[in-house]
Amino acid sequence: MSAVVVDKVTKVFNQGRSDEVTALSEVELTVGDGEFVSLIGPSGCGKSTLLRLIADLIEPTAGTVTVAGKNAGQARRDQDYGIAFQQAGLFEWRTVRRNVELPLELRGMGKTDRKTRAEEMLELVGLAEFAGHYPAQLSGGMQQRVAIARALAVQPPLLLMDEPFGALDEMTRERLQTELLGICAKTGTSTVFVTHSISEAVFLSNRVVVMSARPGRITASVAVDLPARDEAARQSEKYFEHVTAVRQALRGVPASL
Amino acid sequence: MKRILPPVIVGIAAIVAWQLTVTLGRIAPFILPAPSAIWDELVEQKQNVWEAALASGENALIGLIGGSVAGVLVAMVASRFRPIAEISIPFAAVVSALPIIALAPILNNMFESTSSIPRRLVAAIIVFFPVFLNTLRGLREVDPIHQELMHTYAASGWTFATKVRLPGALPYVFTGLRQASSLAVIAAVVAEYFGGLQNGLGSRITSAAAFTAYPRAWAFVLGACLLGLVFYLTTLLLERLAMPWRSRLIA
Repeated sequence: MSAVVVDKVTKVFNQGRSDEVTALSEVELTVGDGEFVSLIGPSGCGKSTLLRLIADLIEPTAGTVTVAGKNAGQARRDQDYGIAFQQAGLFEWRTVRRNVELPLELRGMGKTDRKTRAEEMLELVGLAEFAGHYPAQLSGGMQQRVAIARALAVQPPLLLMDEPFGALDEMTRERLQTELLGICAKTGTSTVFVTHSISEAVFLSNRVVVMSARPGRITASVAVDLPARDEAARQSEKYFEHVTAVRQALRGVPASL
Repeated sequence: MKRILPPVIVGIAAIVAWQLTVTLGRIAPFILPAPSAIWDELVEQKQNVWEAALASGENALIGLIGGSVAGVLVAMVASRFRPIAEISIPFAAVVSALPIIALAPILNNMFESTSSIPRRLVAAIIVFFPVFLNTLRGLREVDPIHQELMHTYAASGWTFATKVRLPGALPYVFTGLRQASSLAVIAAVVAEYFGGLQNGLGSRITSAAAFTAYPRAWAFVLGACLLGLVFYLTTLLLERLAMPWRSRLIA
């Protein structure tokens, strides 16, 4: 079973009005179980729109979105995915631990269970000792890690991320990328990851999906095959070959890989 | 200490200047009594001031609680149903422009002469508006990311209201409460000027003034001032306790 199947999805905003925009046109995308797929493309290519369709935050104008074998709406109600945005979006009145607990709380999980789970998740993102702090006491990178811990708390089979590291500095960003890969490998989570950065997409993904704007569609799909994903991989020849391939795909040159 | 010292020095200087002006300037006590005279009177009357402050304070407190609860509840309803908000805001603006204190004599006629209800009503009505308007603003300002997150959690409207809207609105609620706490005391004291029970600070001020006992009148005014301060500081303390995520940042 595939984690996500997007079938001939078209999304038109403001349909029938003078400011009608076709954000996505006949998009097809399949994300396999345990696969890490990045969506990359220029601003306005509809990559965030595609992610929000998978999350059932908006509905397609035509076509269907299937998540974990169910329609997207059902999958959302069953909390079959975790989501993280560019802004951490933490609740400032809750401690770090209680932020991570929130999705569990809404699922009706018992108090001691969710406390244990939240602490596990914070351990996973390396923030165990900050459980009792309030979000405003943390740095931006730490807040983003809390948001990731929160997204992972229900142990969803699917993780949706919309430029989660976009607002961070390069050092923090690279460290979190490595951490994210570790977490995904450990939990076997499938991931759809929206990004602006070619290097980030190549480093993280099994597959980079390249999109173009007006109307938004998928123009290429570059499989990334790296033997390892560590600091050495960032310097490897193979890595740069893939970066070049994605860059060319973004420019509209047919991919050579 | 550095933050406390300057206002204390200025305050003491002002009192000394006042004392000197009155004694050296030979100002008649019925125009402006000296601080020392007011202080003597306050010490002498401390039992009366205390009892009067308790009576006025009780009215103010009941009005403050009633008006605040009503303000928060109505704001919650108004934030939930847009049409109600659109109707109630202009109404609120019009009614809050009314001099509510002026309603006191009318309200006095509606109830028995020994009733404290009119004063509590005046205080409650005055308290209602700042609390209502601030709370409504807070309830409306929800981070769009929080909205989307709660949607992905498939949270119900009620869950959203209690877990996101209300805590998010707390800073605004307390802004309203801080304004309201002093207003409640002013309203309760001034409402006593228009008759009814003679047990509060307001009625003591009017009767002292009627007997030309000006230092005594001032002593009760000072009592009213202290009462207002107590209300304000208590609200500040509650604000800190209710929002630990803020006070802990300052600490």
